[in-house]
Amino acid sequence: MTKDKALEELFLAQKPTFDDGAEFMAKLTKRLDAVEYFKQYQERVLRRNRIVMVAAFVVGILSGAVSTAWLLSSPIDTSLFDIQAPTGLLLWIVRNSRILACVCLSTLMVFCTIAFVNNILDIMDMRLKIKEMRIRAEKR
Amino acid sequence: MNRETFIECVEREQEALRGFLLALCCGNRDEADDLAQDALVKAYLACSGFRDGGKFRSWLFKIAHNTFLSHKRSLQTTESIDEARMLVSSSATDSDFEHQSLYLALRTLPPKERSAITLFYLNGYSVKEIAAITETSQDAVKQQLSRGRDKLRERLKL
Repeated sequence: MTKDKALEELFLAQKPTFDDGAEFMAKLTKRLDAVEYFKQYQERVLRRNRIVMVAAFVVGILSGAVSTAWLLSSPIDTSLFDIQAPTGLLLWIVRNSRILACVCLSTLMVFCTIAFVNNILDIMDMRLKIKEMRIRAEKR
Repeated sequence: MNRETFIECVEREQEALRGFLLALCCGNRDEADDLAQDALVKAYLACSGFRDGGKFRSWLFKIAHNTFLSHKRSLQTTESIDEARMLVSSSATDSDFEHQSLYLALRTLPPKERSAITLFYLNGYSVKEIAAITETSQDAVKQQLSRGRDKLRERLKL
């Protein structure tokens, strides 16, 4: 495609100049610093979440193992509780009461552990933020 | 590409990039610089995927072009020539531009035509390169250039 000479000359004659290159680069560097900060923060949060997940997994496995051991060590012919009017579903619950108790206990322990670890991490995070705010305020 | 290399490359190309965006923003220097900063941050976040063999300037222009288009879409501008005239005559416009009629005429073009015309006449890219930057076919670019040129010639009375 051929160029329109008049238009080309007009564009080239009016090519803008920028004498604030250093200022522009300084502004960009500041923004890149902010980007880096957020990237690092994201990585920290990701790493923390991974640790929380591993901790919850380990606790879940341990509590599951303990519950199973308790289940196996207790007499099998007696149920944990007795319901006087055993219909279909209730009868099944009574018969499997030990297994159900173990599952419920393990699940509860996992959720409790996740909530506990998350709360501790949130508190630590809040303390860190408060500390950063204090340092910034002191600098001002 | 690490941070230092990225900054070195940007230092070399920032004038061309800002000039391109200034033309797309029809002389609004503040808007053009904001878009340039946004585009460069996007480029920085994506620079790990940039191949060393590729042309850095074309890659930057591609990001800048997409940034400009999304900015336009978010604004959903329906600016008339009168509004453009007001904007060009304001203090925010590029004072270096002696003939502001070019910006005024550029403002009447749709964003894609404006990009194609600017890349072709201001930055000297070929149709093939413009097609790669704007992610369209070469035929579409030729059509945009032809329409844009006709409109500019008519407005500028060339």
